[in-house]
Amino acid sequence: MTAPTDRPCDRFEREGLLQLERGEALDPHFDTCPACRQARADYQRLVRETAALDAELEPTPGWQARVWQEVERRQEGRPRGGSRLLWWVPALVAAGIVAAVALRLGPLAPPAGLRVEVEPGPGVRRGAEAQPGDRLLLEARSVGAAQAELRVYRDDHELVLRCSTQPPCRRRGDSLRATLTLPAVGTYQPLLLLSDQPLPAPTAGGLDADAGAALEAGARVELGEAVRVR
Amino acid sequence: MTGARPTPGEPRDPEADALTALDRGDREAALTLLMDAYGTAIYRFCRRMVTDEELAEEAHQMTFVQAFEALETFSRRSSLRTWLFSIARHRCLDALKIARRRRRRFEPMAEAPETPDPAAAAEDHLADRDRTRALRRCLERLPPQVRTAVLLRFQQELTYPEIAAICRQRAATLQARVARSLPTLRRCLESLGQAA
Repeated sequence: MTAPTDRPCDRFEREGLLQLERGEALDPHFDTCPACRQARADYQRLVRETAALDAELEPTPGWQARVWQEVERRQEGRPRGGSRLLWWVPALVAAGIVAAVALRLGPLAPPAGLRVEVEPGPGVRRGAEAQPGDRLLLEARSVGAAQAELRVYRDDHELVLRCSTQPPCRRRGDSLRATLTLPAVGTYQPLLLLSDQPLPAPTAGGLDADAGAALEAGARVELGEAVRVR
Repeated sequence: MTGARPTPGEPRDPEADALTALDRGDREAALTLLMDAYGTAIYRFCRRMVTDEELAEEAHQMTFVQAFEALETFSRRSSLRTWLFSIARHRCLDALKIARRRRRRFEPMAEAPETPDPAAAAEDHLADRDRTRALRRCLERLPPQVRTAVLLRFQQELTYPEIAAICRQRAATLQARVARSLPTLRRCLESLGQAA
């Protein structure tokens, strides 16, 4: 990779790039030599592309909860060291544990109270995975709770469904059903909240924050199997 | 210490807010602010540093676990962002070592066929014609220390004094390293069918 270059302006590669990185004024030659100007433009493009390379990447859903879970695990492993964390984080950690299990091991650990199915939409199938236009069918039991609410979060943050007694939810006895046409690619996480008290409203914090708030308010939180739409 | 509360609509300063939280001994609030502010940037850095997605995610999460444990002793000689990237760099280099060990252990069992598969080669070639993929591949081929400097400089847009603090090397060394890496990347892209 260190072979001599055959490009017409290797002086720019040898000197100009270093001058730029040092924040020095560029040698006037590089402004007058057309090949050097072209080389400079090529490198500016390369730098822009490197900067933009992963602009769409986001951490996986539930990562903050997993960090807290690991923090907690390590603190418990230590001799008593004044863990102030223990008095306020349990709700978040519990949500994290449930979320981590449901999001990472979803198919291995199906939840008991919230059933999730994907019904293929009318479009042409590209494969076995769910795709936009498919319908997500949710069915849950309120098991005597005064308040039951279904929610679906897309990519951990966007609340795309929230209902209780009004459409798109249908409640009959202790059965609660809802249907959602999957609008776009992403990971859809269904959530069932049960409580005898009014449930906390969703926040801008997304799934982790909302599940933590619900647990803190004494609600029972069940995560359904996450559905990935491609 | 800036304790001033921002007026409505004014963007918050996560550094100042996290330091204020630390001043009142609230490590949990400080870490939450840091995760919100820098979680994505550090994730992108780790993903590009460590090719294995699972190891990159672990490095990313362990950065914040370790940060939580060290927050009480944060010396404030650098910004929290620089400090976090310094931890992330170590965790990513550790992840690369793990990946190397795994490869050494498992590669002999999963050796490529002796005769190259022409279809696979053609697919590779097609894939490499995609410039973004090619650029990712070329970055992966840079030695880790060089890749670190390139990513911190161009992906994270850090200054050389900041990168020097993270990498514990002189800024001049890093400037030369980054400047030399660009022709290397250019030649690599050309070898993958991507003209500069």
